[in-house]
This record gives sequence, structure tokens and C-alpha cells, in this order.
Amino acid sequence: MTTVAQVNRTKLPPSESSMPRYGMVIDLKRCYGCYACVMACKVKNHTPPGVFWSRILKGETGAFPNVVRQALPVLCMQCDEPSCMEVCPTGATVKLDNGIVIVEKDKCMGCKYCMMACPYGARYSVEDWESYFPDGLPLSPYEEFTKQAWEEKSGVGVATKCDFCRDRIAEGREPACVDACPANARTFGDLDDPDSDISILIKKYRGEVLNPEFGNKPKVYYLAPR
Amino acid sequence: MNPKVDGQLQSDWGWWVAAYLFLGGIGGGAYTIAAVNWFLGESVSAATTVGLWIGFPALLIGSIFLLADLGTPTRAVLAGMKPGSSWIARGFWIISAFMILALLHLYLHTFTDIGQSAGGRTLLNLVAVAGIVCAVGTMAYTGILLGASKGIPFWRTGAVPVVFVISALVTGHFTIMLIALIYPGMSAAAVQTMSLEAAVLVVLEVLAILFFLQAAFRTPDPRESALRILRKRSFVIGYFLLGLAVPFGLMLIVYRYMTVPQVSGYVMTASA
Amino acid sequence: MTATAQNRIEEDVWIPTSCGQCYCMCGIKARRQNGVITEIEGNPEAPSGRGSICVKGIASPHLLYDPYRVNYPLKRTNPEKGLGVDPKFVRISWEEALDIIVMKLKECSERDPRGAYFQATTTQASEIRFGVIGFMKGFGTPNYWVSGGGLHCGNGAHFMNGIMHVAWSIIPDFAHCNYALNFGCSKGHGAGHVAVQNATQAADARFRGFKNIVFDPFQSAQASKSHEWIPIKVGTDGAMALGLVNSLLNEHGIYDAEYLMYKTNGPYLIRPSDGRYMRDKETNKPLVWDLVDQCPKVHNDDSVTRVEYEDQAHDVALTGSYNVFGTACQPAFALLKEHVKQYTPKYVEEVTGIPAATVSRIAREFGEAAEIGSTVTIQTSKGPKKIPSRPVATHFFRGTQGHVNSGWTCLSVDMVNHMVGAADTWGSAFGLGAAVGSGYEGTGKPYQVPYPCPDGLLVARTWVYDHVPYPMRVPKPPTRLDLHDMFPTSIYNAFVITNPRWDEILERFKIPYKPDVMINFGSNSVMTMGNAEAVTENFLKKFNFIFSFQLYITEFEEAVADIVLPDACFLERYTPAVSFPSTFSHPQGEDDWGWSIRQPVVEPLHERRDFNVVMLDICKRLGIHGKYYKGLNDSIGIRYGGDMDEKYKLVEDGSVDHTWEDVCDRLLKDRFGEEHGLDHVREKGVFTWPKKKEDVYWKWFNPSRVPIYFEYFIDSGEQITKLWDEFGGDDFFEFDWSRFKALADWYPCPTHTETAPEYDMHAFYWRAVMHCNSMTQQNPYLDECSQEDPYVYAVQIHKDTAAEKGLADGDNIWLENPQGHRVKGWIALTDGIEPHHLAVAAVAGHWGNYMPVAKGKGTFFNDLVEMDLPHTDPLTFNQDICCRVKIYKADV
Ligand SMILES: Nc1nc2c(c(=O)[nH]1)N[C@H]1C(S)=C(S)[C@@H](COP(=O)(O)OP(=O)(O)OC[C@H]3O[C@@H](n4cnc5c(=O)[nH]c(N)nc54)[C@H](O)[C@@H]3O)O[C@H]1N2
Ligand SMILES: Nc1nc2c(c(=O)[nH]1)N[C@H]1C(S)=C(S)[C@@H](COP(=O)(O)OP(=O)(O)OC[C@H]3O[C@@H](n4cnc5c(=O)[nH]c(N)nc54)[C@H](O)[C@@H]3O)O[C@H]1N2
Ligand code: SF4
Ligand code: SF4
Ligand code: SF4
Ligand code: SF4
Ligand code: SF4
Ligand SMILES: [Mo]
Repeated sequence: MTTVAQVNRTKLPPSESSMPRYGMVIDLKRCYGCYACVMACKVKNHTPPGVFWSRILKGETGAFPNVVRQALPVLCMQCDEPSCMEVCPTGATVKLDNGIVIVEKDKCMGCKYCMMACPYGARYSVEDWESYFPDGLPLSPYEEFTKQAWEEKSGVGVATKCDFCRDRIAEGREPACVDACPANARTFGDLDDPDSDISILIKKYRGEVLNPEFGNKPKVYYLAPR
Repeated sequence: MNPKVDGQLQSDWGWWVAAYLFLGGIGGGAYTIAAVNWFLGESVSAATTVGLWIGFPALLIGSIFLLADLGTPTRAVLAGMKPGSSWIARGFWIISAFMILALLHLYLHTFTDIGQSAGGRTLLNLVAVAGIVCAVGTMAYTGILLGASKGIPFWRTGAVPVVFVISALVTGHFTIMLIALIYPGMSAAAVQTMSLEAAVLVVLEVLAILFFLQAAFRTPDPRESALRILRKRSFVIGYFLLGLAVPFGLMLIVYRYMTVPQVSGYVMTASA
Repeated sequence: MTATAQNRIEEDVWIPTSCGQCYCMCGIKARRQNGVITEIEGNPEAPSGRGSICVKGIASPHLLYDPYRVNYPLKRTNPEKGLGVDPKFVRISWEEALDIIVMKLKECSERDPRGAYFQATTTQASEIRFGVIGFMKGFGTPNYWVSGGGLHCGNGAHFMNGIMHVAWSIIPDFAHCNYALNFGCSKGHGAGHVAVQNATQAADARFRGFKNIVFDPFQSAQASKSHEWIPIKVGTDGAMALGLVNSLLNEHGIYDAEYLMYKTNGPYLIRPSDGRYMRDKETNKPLVWDLVDQCPKVHNDDSVTRVEYEDQAHDVALTGSYNVFGTACQPAFALLKEHVKQYTPKYVEEVTGIPAATVSRIAREFGEAAEIGSTVTIQTSKGPKKIPSRPVATHFFRGTQGHVNSGWTCLSVDMVNHMVGAADTWGSAFGLGAAVGSGYEGTGKPYQVPYPCPDGLLVARTWVYDHVPYPMRVPKPPTRLDLHDMFPTSIYNAFVITNPRWDEILERFKIPYKPDVMINFGSNSVMTMGNAEAVTENFLKKFNFIFSFQLYITEFEEAVADIVLPDACFLERYTPAVSFPSTFSHPQGEDDWGWSIRQPVVEPLHERRDFNVVMLDICKRLGIHGKYYKGLNDSIGIRYGGDMDEKYKLVEDGSVDHTWEDVCDRLLKDRFGEEHGLDHVREKGVFTWPKKKEDVYWKWFNPSRVPIYFEYFIDSGEQITKLWDEFGGDDFFEFDWSRFKALADWYPCPTHTETAPEYDMHAFYWRAVMHCNSMTQQNPYLDECSQEDPYVYAVQIHKDTAAEKGLADGDNIWLENPQGHRVKGWIALTDGIEPHHLAVAAVAGHWGNYMPVAKGKGTFFNDLVEMDLPHTDPLTFNQDICCRVKIYKADV
């Protein structure tokens, strides 16, 4: 068990299969809704106001005093059968061999059909880049940086979404949200490798995906909160 | 456990698309009616003319609205890349084809007299048939388009495209009627025929809507989303309003008008 | 500065340092790309966080670059002061600013240096210990406080935990604890000390099956992750705790006799006549009753002493009555056992709203989970040793102690641990931060092993303040503006300095000087203490001149600051000791010791200057830098575990002109050796060395006992009242001296005694993970995050209560207290709150014009907090932070 707890600390475990099928497990028992993943994603991907590739949905069930609040971290589920890709008229949305679904921004015409088609609300598109500060002051060096970084990588007038931090993965680092999670609630790895931590977690603790009825075959799994 | 996200329409599809849905509807509808009337023969040809004059321009403006909704309109040319899977891509081709046919038909019908020659007639018949096919495609496709939003079972009931087609026809039809009122060339025969069509269409529309709601509310899930959509989604509501209310409004006007024979008689004599 | 793909690769470095957006001080690495900080990550090298940080830390680039930061010295040109007054600040040069400040300080020191008053923020705790302490000693003023700090979060807890655990706070040994009772704190769930480390540990514990029972009026983060959430009425934790003690001792008969006999003063024999210890005639040491030899023995007689668990000793009496020198007397434990009988489950139910059955069930579950008698063997530096395993703990903090019963409530909650021997041993309640250490073997520093006083009670060797919490100071005629010298059981107090008759009080208590110059380091006391009007009018406006080191122009500067100095934030400065004193916020448990520092990850931007550099500069300009150095030299010992070697001492005659970096370097070299100075520690941002197991689970390796009977409070009480009466203090305040006694009790807050029926709601505040007190709402990332959350900016109310009052989700309401103070908020309906309570988050509701992102977000709770004695704990002077209010609809 503790080994599982520790893996998040280590760098990305090398996967057996030459071409991994990346996925994520989120342990709702560990998660305490702290938003570190949300912020890590924002800072890593420089998403402008209103754009959250990584989000926390907070829900409440039961009646006083038998009430439970639960945080549900959501991100792009990196579906094996991505409805976003299916409907994309231009071919801008593609699934890479490693299973990551991305938007090739230069092919995207911003029709937002994918946003309609994504049942997990994982996609965002902004018409203009906006500063986070009021009153239109000159941009701070940091905002200058985030603006350019955003426009280089994602941009305006196109669909954007979580890409599993593929650039970090390329450097052998884990996704920012996984790395940041103080509760080690998020585990990233290769679903095709039966010995990977996530395969073990999913098997051992019966991981489930959100809304299987959508038929998208998500690659983000959840472990029960209690 | 069984955590779920509840279906939410994430899209920013806004009034541009709403406007397109309406205009596209009018265009498709008006053209179809026009083409059908064309087959009903000379007596209603005035209705055909009006229909054709509505069809193409409505479509043209509609498509411009559609472009306006794109985040990066300059890449619109890419829209047709994936007809294999994407309904927008298919729609792209259908609408394009339809616009060409509609334009062609309009031209042949109003600026040439090939309608007189037998050969010309067959050509027009062909154009009309092809046109009707594309028109129906255009009217149905937005409905199918919405079916792609898995988050919202509401859209996914098979009835949606049918509703879209029929209300498009209604809208188109009554737009013709409206114009017909002030169009001197309109013949009594045409007006009568069209009033008949009107009755039929409205009945169909009502049936379709009932069928649709029944379908939408059949399973609990869609009901939820149905309610949510009906509450939230301005453009849907807008669409149903324009698709229904306007036609009904027009119908009232028309029938009131029809109950004053002298006037219609007068129109006839004037045209004679 | 641009960041296009090409030149982004010119510079791309990660610099290790320590976060400073709250006082947890996690180790971080800042990524600098072409001179711009673009990313902040946890530093795996640092025990604080071990590579994880929280949402605030991650968002901190915006703090560094916020265009609304103060970047130049500012001077107030509007002589008028007060809330809502436009200060008409104008930009001035550093030279002009320093000239004015030095002149004002010179004038002050001519009048009376004690007129200088240092106010600081808790959030920058590690900086305080240099610029503030050194200056005070150098300049010669005793007047200092950390604004809202101790009053909301410390007077009760730090004092009591210091007595019981030589630490700032307590926390379960998450690694081995199986069952914990969480009273009013977010420890392990977003706030508290060592927040991130604890969050990781708590998550691992949940994964392991650890059960956390949470007492909280609403579904806080910890409640939502708990095994069981038990809604409790605010301010009643003490009653619940004493109910548990009663239920353990008198209902279930569960207690750890071994522990009580040898590790507490439970066996000390008490003289019935005056409640004092029975003392040995010649040694004057407290006596215990040896059950084997059937005679009294001094408490530390070898035959009745067990330092280590495996030591052998005679049983001593915990119950019964014994005749000593002709007087029949009982052991302290017997008195306690009898005393708590009044806290029946039924009584507890009436007070707390927790069903009587639940009270005794929880007591039973806790007692059973304690596994009294069980042991584990650990590897100490002296080989394998057997120690008790007690995998249960109660822990508490801000919520529990923010009441007029603060002191006794804190003790009562901890007392539950001591009944079952669950203190500073395997699986039990630990002191937090890690308090006990025998030092880095290279130097033997920091040495912080506690020791017993002559009466055998636990004495801290290091502490955050100049005086350890025990043995207690002897009350002296006051010299401080808050009369602090008279009150050894308090850290700070607010009720004197915010009293409208402050001047008269000072005269009456023969304080020969007046408030004169205030130096503020960061604190936004206008918002963080209590009712803003009272704080501003009665206290802050009494100063002739106020200059403030700040990052932003807050409500404080707007209202009263004459000069604002643009401070460097935590990413722009050196701090030599961040995670130490470790009693404050160092991770507990087996992980290494880590002495972390701060270093600039960018040079201070614009005209910002580091507070500590400027304070040193000011001292030099005043010609008191020699005394400042001496002040530091003198204060290092108690805070950082051992005096400075002559070799590294700062030169006290002022002949040497030490730079701030030199000061940092010397402290590090003194602690860790010549080769481990600033340059060495900078590389990793932290200096680490292994913790000895006997320092982690120190209880059964240390010869000291802890009190369960507070005999010396009686003495303090008598000494204080004597002084008090000499000065005729009653003319100003009606004190409840009965609190100065030996056995714990619960006392109601004004919230509980309020009778007017329309004031039917209890309002309280909680900490959202994305905010630290009053600053972070200005960070647009954190602000946006807060808006994503359904509750952070809302006033939470039970949906049925709202319905009764005809209120709907999102409605704007007024919260008004019986004194007529009212604040506005919008409500969020929930089932997750006790129906008579209202929950408000953070120090929000900013109205100042210079933090536009923060402005108008959330609710300014503290305007409802009264700054008077009736809302103050007479024992510790902790403020009462629960408010009885009525609510009604407000038009937008
Ligand atoms: N309603 C409510 N009231 C509370 C609390 C609460 O949670 N809710 N918490 C209470 C508690 S426990 C405490 S400890 C107090 C805390 O009260 P304060 O000590 O006033 O703490 P903060 O509100 O964090 O104020 C920190 C101030 O210091 C400034 N600052 C931050 N970093 C730096 C720095 O590096 N240099 C300088 N010069 N300034 C800096 C910030 O701009 C901010 O104005 O508040 C108490 N009051
Ligand atoms: N994220 C974050 N972390 C912080 C800070 C911050 O502002 N934000 N501030 C730092 C500071 S200065 C401090 S002092 C510590 C404080 O750290 P904590 O002591 O953990 O403070 P809170 O998180 O406010 O936890 C108080 C809890 O007690 C509950 N509560 C309120 N009144 C009562 C009561 O009468 N009885 C009981 N049983 N519960 C009650 C509240 O609902 C809340 O859930 O956190 C430090 N760390
Ligand atoms: S960082 Fe981890 S614990 Fe925090 S919200 Fe995200 S998943 Fe949950
Ligand atoms: S979650 Fe949505 S965006 Fe992500 S792959 Fe699935 S369908 Fe596409
Ligand atoms: S918005 Fe871009 S990615 Fe999405 S469907 Fe349209 S073209 Fe494809
Ligand atoms: S994987 Fe990367 S992009 Fe996706 S949510 Fe996490 S941090 Fe954001
Ligand atoms: S807990 Fe405090 S110190 Fe640690 S990262 Fe968060 S804000 Fe910074
Ligand atoms: Mo605090």
C-alpha cells in the first residue's frame, strides 16, 4: 500500500510496453478537495481566466447530520473512444498512439462541436486572451510570459483541453496535477502494463470510470471515497 | 461508489447558431416547398418563384451566421475534412451542394424560360429532386448534429431530426405565405393549395413535437436534461419559438385574410 | 522581457527556498526562466512538504508580480486617519522615508523608547525573530505583538500545549494512530502548522484505515473526510472533552495507570486546606504515596520513578486518601476523577448538542482503541527499547480555543490523551512542531531536550518567545502598554489596548509613557483582530507615527500608516531560520530534521527592500546596531537551541558592520559548522539530519511529568489579584479570577448566555485551503479558485433555517451582533451545517481600494468580534471568536 503512496513522489515509472497507453487513477478516499491539482494545471498550462483543464466539482449528499461532502476532481478523461474526435470536422482533434487525445491548434477552426460532444465538459475555448488583473494595467512579466506561452501552445479561437502534460511526460516527469497532489490521490501510468501502479490500483481497489454509459471508454479511473 | 458528472452543454454555441438554425430552416423549408409546388404544376408556379427567392438568400445569410460563430473563421475551409465521422463535415458538403442547387434552380426558374421546353422541364425536375434531397439533408442535419452531445440524452432521441425537418418546412412555408400576401403574381389557386399544405404541415408539426417530447421524456435521464436544456439553452427555445410561434402567427393573419373573398377576387382581376 | 521559444532556453533554473504565504513554510523550488519566475514546485529535499505544496504556494508567482504590490516608499499626505479615509499617499524616495523614520524614532527614544510598539504578522513568523526582536532589544522597548495572531490562534493553545508537550500545538502520529478526535482544526486537511506534510500523512492514514472523528459545526474539509462527523455547538468543546474524561474514568473505568503514576503529577498528594502539593520537609519536593512501602516519597525518589518504560518502580497511589504529617490528603488524580463527575453525558448533551449516548460511545471507542498496556520496540541510538503504543489522539486548534474558555478548553481536550497515556509516544498525540531534538551530531545544536523542574514538571528548553510557558513568570507591576507583565498566563492581550479608556488605564497602572511610534511588519490588524472601528479608533489612532513594511496597501495602511515601505516578499529575500524554532512548524514524526532557509529567487523588484535589511539599516542609522546584534545573540539561545559560540557571535560593540547575509551565515555556521554556512545551505535550501527515534517518541525517555492538576495556577491567580487590587483594576474591568485554579472546567461564552430571542444564530469562521488569513484574496488565481468553490465566499446556512427565515440561495443578508455591529454576505444553502450556525471563511470582505482583486469578496467576519473583556478568556486572554447574531435580508 505505502509503495503505492510513494510512487507519486518518484519520476514516471518506465513502462514495459514500448508504446504505453497512458491513464490516471484518482483515489477519492485520499482526495480532500484542496485544489492543488487545479492550480498546478493552471500554472503549468497558463490557462486564461475561466479555463480549467483540471477542475474540482464539489457535491453534497444526505441530510443533516448524515451529510457527506465529496470533491470530485475532473479533467479530460482521455477517452479511448473520444466523441470529441469523432465529431471534429477538420481532424484537429486526434488521439495519439499513447492514447492521449490532443487538439492540433493549427487545424482547429473553433467550431466548438467537440465541446458539444464532450460529455465530461473537459474542453474550453476562449475568444480573446484576458489579463487576470482589473483596470488594464500593463501586463506583469509573469503575465507576459503566460500570455505568450498560452498563445504558442493553445491559443484563442480554438478548442483547448488537458493533454496529460505530454511535454512533461516527454521529459520523464509526471503530469503537473499528479506531482502536486499533497494527498497522493492521483497516480499516472501505463494501463497496458499490468504491473504499473495504476493497473494494480484499478484492479485491487476496483477503479471505475465516470458515466460509463457515455461509451467513451475513459482512461481516468476513480477509487471509492469510503 | 458511482460518481457521475451530470450532462452539461459546455458549448458556447450562441445566437449566431440560433440565427442560422432559423434561417437555414426557412431556407431549406422554403426551397422544399417551392420545389414541391413546382411539381404541382403551372397554377402554383408563383409560389415556387417566391419559395426559390426565399430559399437561397436565407441560406446564404444563415451560412454567414454560421461562419461568424467560428473561433477561427479563416480555417472554415477545413470544415469538410472528416465527412467520414463528423456531421459538421457532412453538413458542410450538404449545405454547399444545396446552395449551389438552390441558386441554380432560382436562376433557371426565374431568369430563363427553359421551363417552357420539355427538355428544360426534365432538367428542372432533376435539379428540383436533387435540391429537395439536399434541402431535407440540410434541415435534418442540425438535428443530427445536436445528437452528438452525449452529455445531453435529450438531444439524442431520434425524433429530433424529424422535428427539425418539419418545423423547418413549416417556417419556410409560412414565410412564403407571408410574402405571397404582398406578391401581386400570386394566384388564388396557389393560395388555396398552400393553405391546404399549411394545415397539413401544422398538424404534422404538432404531431412531431408531441412525438419528440414523448421520446425525450421517455427515460428519466433525458427528462432531466430536457428540463435543464429547456431552461438554459436560449437557442433551442428560440428555435422552437421561431419554428412554431411565427408560423402560427402568420397562419392567423393568412386565414383572416382568406375570409375576405372580395379582396382575393380583386387580386385576381388585377392580375388578369 | 519576452518568453518566446528561442530565448526561453537562455535561462531555465530551479532555485530551492521556502514558501511564505502562510506560516507552514514548506520547502519549494522556484523555476526562473530568463529572469522571470514561471513555476513553483515542492522541494523533495525539504521535510516540510517533501515535494508537495498547497494551492497557495503554487499560485505564488502572482504574489511576486502583482501589479498592485507596493513598489516604492509612500508617504501619507492626508493628516486625517481612520477607516475609509483617503490617505493621499505620495511616492517618496527611500532616503526621505528613512530620514523621516529615523527622526521619529530618535524623538520617540528621547521621550521614552518604550513608546515604540512593534506589530507583526504571524504569517512571516521566521522574519519576526530577527528584525523585530533584535530591534526591540536594541531600541529598548518591550512592546510587541502579532496582531490577530495569539488572540485568535495562540494564547490558549500555545500556552497549554507548551505546558503539556513543549510544543506549539498537537497532532496525531498519523503514521501509527488508528483513532483520533479532531476538535475544531483543519490539521491534515488544509490548514494548521505543517499543513501540507500533515495532509500527505493524513491521506496515507486514511488509506491505511485510520479513523478521524471530527467535531465541527459544519462539514469542513476534515469533516468531509472523517470516519464520523459530529456537529458541535461552537465554544463547547471543553464540556465535551471533560465529558469524555468523566466517561473514561467514571463510566468505563479506562485509564493508563502506569502513565499517570510516572508521567503526570496525578499521584502528587494535595493538601485539602489550600489545594497545594504536600511537600517534603527538607527538600520541599512534592510527595507521592508509595503503595509498596506504604509511605510518602518525594516525586523523583528512585523507588517511585520510571524514566524509561522498562525501568522498574513501586506503584504509587492515584486514588484513595492518605495521612501525611497528620493531614488526610488525596492524590491529584483522585481529585480530578471526582471533579469531572459533574460532566455527565446528559449535561454534555445539554451544552454541546451531542447526544449523551454518543458521548459515552466515543469515550469507549477512544479508550478501547488506546490499547492500554500494548507496547512496541523501537531502535533508539541506545539500542532497541520498548515503549507504549497508544494509537489514539485528540487534537484541536483555532476553532476549539477561540473562546472565553480557551485555556481550560485546550487543557481539557488534551487531558483526554493523558488519561490513556497517549502523549508523545507511538501512535499517540504528538507535540507539533517537532519539539524534542538532541541536535545535529556535528555541533550538538539545536539542542532542545526538555527537562523537569524541581517539582518534576516538564520544562521546555527552547521556545518561540523569550519566556518558556512553564515555569510561569512571576507577575510584576506592568511596564508594557498592554499590562502584559502582570499576566503570566497570557501571550498578548487586546482588551486593554483596544479599550476606549486605554489612557486612563495606563495612568492608573503607573505606565510612565504613552503609545508613540508603531512599526508594523505586515499585519493587517484593522481586519484580522476584531471590530475594525474599535481597533482603529481606540488603539491604532493613539500612535503619533506609524510606518509599515508591506506588500500591499491594505486596510491598515489606508487607515493609519504615515509611511509605507515596499517590502520584499518571501521570494525576494534571505531568512536564515525558517523551519526553526521547530516547536512552531516543523514536521513531527520520523522524517529527518530540516533547517530550511529563504533566499531570493529574483533580486527584489522595483524599489522593494527586505524588511530585515532595512531594520538593520535603521538600527545602524540610529547607532544602535551593536545593541541590535547583542539582542540577536541573546535571543538565539532560547529560540534556536543553544547560545552562539563566541566565534560566530555578532560583534556587540558595534565596531563591526554586519550585513544581513553575514548574520544569516553566522547563525548557520554556528548551528552546523564552518562548512555549512549560507552558501552550502543555499544549494538545497535546507540542511537535513536524521531524527533519533527517542526524540520522536520522547515521552518514555524524558524524566519529566506533565500536570493534570494545575497547582501553580492558584499561586499565579493570587499574585495577580494582589497586584490588580493594588492598582484598583476593578475600576476598569470585572475579572473572573475563579479561572485561576487547579482543575479544568468549562465556561460558557457570551454566545451561550445571550438571551434575546432574535439573536438565534451562532456565527464562526473557518479556513479555506486557498486563503491564508487576509492576503491571498488578492491573488487572482486563488480568487478565481474561490469562486469555483460553492462555499469559500459564501455564508453557509442550513437550508431549513434559511427556509424558516424566508431566505433563498444566494440572497444577500446582514449578520448583526447584539452590540449592533453588522456585516454583509450572501448565503449558500447546505445540509452540512448545524442548523443554528453560520460559517464564514477567511479574513475576507476587503474594502480597501488598493487590493482590487480582493475587494468586496466574501464577508468581513471580524467586525462582529468584540474587543472587550467579556469576550476574552480571563486566563489566557484569548479572544472569543464565536458570535451570536441575528440575520436578515439585505438589498443587494
Ligand atoms: N475572520 C478571521 N479573522 C482571523 C483569522 C481568520 O481565519 N478569520 N485568523 C486569525 C489568526 S489565527 C491569525 S494568526 C491572524 C493573522 O493576522 P495577520 O497577522 O494580520 O495575518 P494576515 O491576515 O495573513 O496578514 C498578513 C499581512 O502581511 C502582509 N504580508 C504577507 N507577507 C508579507 C511579507 O513578506 N512582508 C510584509 N512586510 N508583509 C507581508 C500581507 O500583505 C497581509 O497584509 O488573523 C486572525 N484573524
Ligand atoms: N489554508 C490556510 N492555512 C492556514 C491558515 C489560513 O488562513 N489558511 N492560517 C494559519 C494560521 S494563522 C493558523 S492559526 C492555523 C489555524 O489552523 P486551524 O486551527 O486548523 O484553523 P481552521 O482551519 O480555521 O480550523 C478551525 C475549524 O474549527 C471549526 N470551528 C469553529 N469554531 C469551532 C468550535 O467552537 N468548536 C469546534 N469544534 N470547531 C469549531 C471551524 O469550522 C474550522 O473548521 O492555520 C494556519 N494555516
Ligand atoms: S490535489 Fe489531490 S487532494 Fe487536492 S484536490 Fe486535487 S486530487 Fe484532491
Ligand atoms: S473527455 Fe471529452 S475531451 Fe477528453 S477525450 Fe473524452 S470526449 Fe474528448
Ligand atoms: S473546435 Fe476545433 S477541435 Fe473542436 S471540433 Fe471544431 S475544429 Fe475540431
Ligand atoms: S494532466 Fe496536465 S494538463 Fe491534464 S489536468 Fe493534469 S496538469 Fe492539467
Ligand atoms: S502550506 Fe503555506 S507554506 Fe506551504 S505551500 Fe501552502 S502557503 Fe506555502
Ligand atoms: Mo494564527
